[in-house]
Amino acid sequence: MNWISSRPKILLMLAPAFILFTLFMTYPVGYSLAFSLTKFQGFGTPRWTGLDNYARILTDQFFWQALVNTAIILVVSLAVLIPGSFALALLLQRKIAGSGALKALVFGPAIIAPILVGLIWVFILDPKIGLLNRALAGLGVPAVTWIGGNTLTPYSVAIVFIWSSIGFAMTIFYAGLQTLPSDVMEASALDGATGWQQVRHVTIPMLRATFAIVTILLITNVFKIFELVYVLTGGGPVHRSETLVSYMYYVTFTNQQYGYGMALAVIITVLGALVSAGYLMLSSRKGDRR
Amino acid sequence: MSRAVAEPTPAVASGPRQPLSPAKRKQRRTLLALAAIAYLITFLVILPILWIVLLSFQPSADILNDPLSLGHLGLANYVNAVQSLPLLRMYANTFLIAIAAVSLGTVVSFMAAFALTRMVFRHRRLQSAVKFYFLAGLAVPVYILLFPVYRLDLALGLFGTYGALILPYAAVSIPFNTLLMTGFLADFPAEIEEAAIIDGAGLWRLCISVVLPIMRPVIATILIFNIVYVFNEFPFASILINDPNMVTVSLAVSRFQGQFTVDYGGMMASATMVLIPQLVIYAFFQRQIIAGMTAGAVKG
Repeated sequence: MNWISSRPKILLMLAPAFILFTLFMTYPVGYSLAFSLTKFQGFGTPRWTGLDNYARILTDQFFWQALVNTAIILVVSLAVLIPGSFALALLLQRKIAGSGALKALVFGPAIIAPILVGLIWVFILDPKIGLLNRALAGLGVPAVTWIGGNTLTPYSVAIVFIWSSIGFAMTIFYAGLQTLPSDVMEASALDGATGWQQVRHVTIPMLRATFAIVTILLITNVFKIFELVYVLTGGGPVHRSETLVSYMYYVTFTNQQYGYGMALAVIITVLGALVSAGYLMLSSRKGDRR
Repeated sequence: MSRAVAEPTPAVASGPRQPLSPAKRKQRRTLLALAAIAYLITFLVILPILWIVLLSFQPSADILNDPLSLGHLGLANYVNAVQSLPLLRMYANTFLIAIAAVSLGTVVSFMAAFALTRMVFRHRRLQSAVKFYFLAGLAVPVYILLFPVYRLDLALGLFGTYGALILPYAAVSIPFNTLLMTGFLADFPAEIEEAAIIDGAGLWRLCISVVLPIMRPVIATILIFNIVYVFNEFPFASILINDPNMVTVSLAVSRFQGQFTVDYGGMMASATMVLIPQLVIYAFFQRQIIAGMTAGAVKG
């Protein structure tokens, strides 16, 4: 391969991606970091304020509310999605008539634009016109403020997130199940392992990497939730239902506090990375002990 | 017959079928129960979509008062929606941006991936450093880029053109494309390529008529993944486009609530008109789409 590897040729092949990537990813990240240290309202020159923006985050009650909301969405989603999508993968692996079609249908919501997912769920969750409260009214249950109230919105957002992610997570688990060597499964069945014992002591330990991947992907995706809140409540009332990214979007683009918005973006990025890294460390340490 | 003794439960007449052993029967019953659960879950997942489609045929008054009544179903909402939506425009815009951004992102990533796996660098360290540089982009969330890219588009004179979206979409696809392409090429022996070089193929012919065909499956995955991304993308579009003639599908959807306010029927018909084409395409290519969207997780 030396033949084709002159220096100009290497440069020519690398340059387009390198320039595009540097200009539209590396440079913007640096720009955000720099602007997070300034006060800038979109006109005039940005004023250097050091770490003031970061200090302000600590006392910004809306930020903390958004953090709590995101944490609620994260915990609820993981608690439902990890066991739920894994169980669904196990279920659809059985010889059920039409399981191929079921898999495709359950995956369906994952290809719908998040902005449209939000709109669809307005008509399920809306306290006045939503399907859910209509159904509950039919059962004699009084109306519940699923969205737009003071407390329930993050849980409702979690439900919507679960809806749009369960097929995606299930598919990854399903692919993982296909890679399990059938002789191991047969051997454990011959040893008299019942279905549940087999899942508990053979399948789950062998799929540890898959569990880690699904968890990390879901964590990253929860930290990116924005459109759902944007459509369902717009973050209201009074920022009660913001997630981290929707609040950052509001500060930056609605309020035009660019410096503070960039500080929020930096902190959210770091938080997301920390949660993922923390999970990886925990799960790999558990793996070592075995 | 001695069989009767072994069976504690009196057999319900099982018709002409061969009588099953208790274990088999229990197994079959479990499977039926599991199937019922699977069907129920699937129904719950598609219920919201069915609901939207149903509402789209109802007059707005019925949506408010009696959404389950099926007496006045009709196409009035669709007439209304088609009149007030620039459907053709928004699809044309989205396709144009998607095709340009995904082609650009795929071509530059292909060139880079070839250089990073096949070409011989004088400093091997540099080669892995560049690869790592691209892959590090996987850890960068899009929302940290929004404002800087907006400023950059302004500074480069791109704002107000399709390029304002095409370039960032192409750029954010590079890390994932590089991951899949270099992974694929690293696993694929270079012997065919070496033979082609001995036969006198130059760099371009080697790339286009030898490497490109080999990489077809991974390129298909990348195209699908990125087209779905661009089609559904909202945050960038909401900031980088302010010309009503340039709205994308996602951007148009985000304005339905403001546009139709309490005309819920019109809103639902519009949502359905965006949803159904997407689901039809998905129905045709579901195997490839599912593979494409989960490739990063399954292979990575």
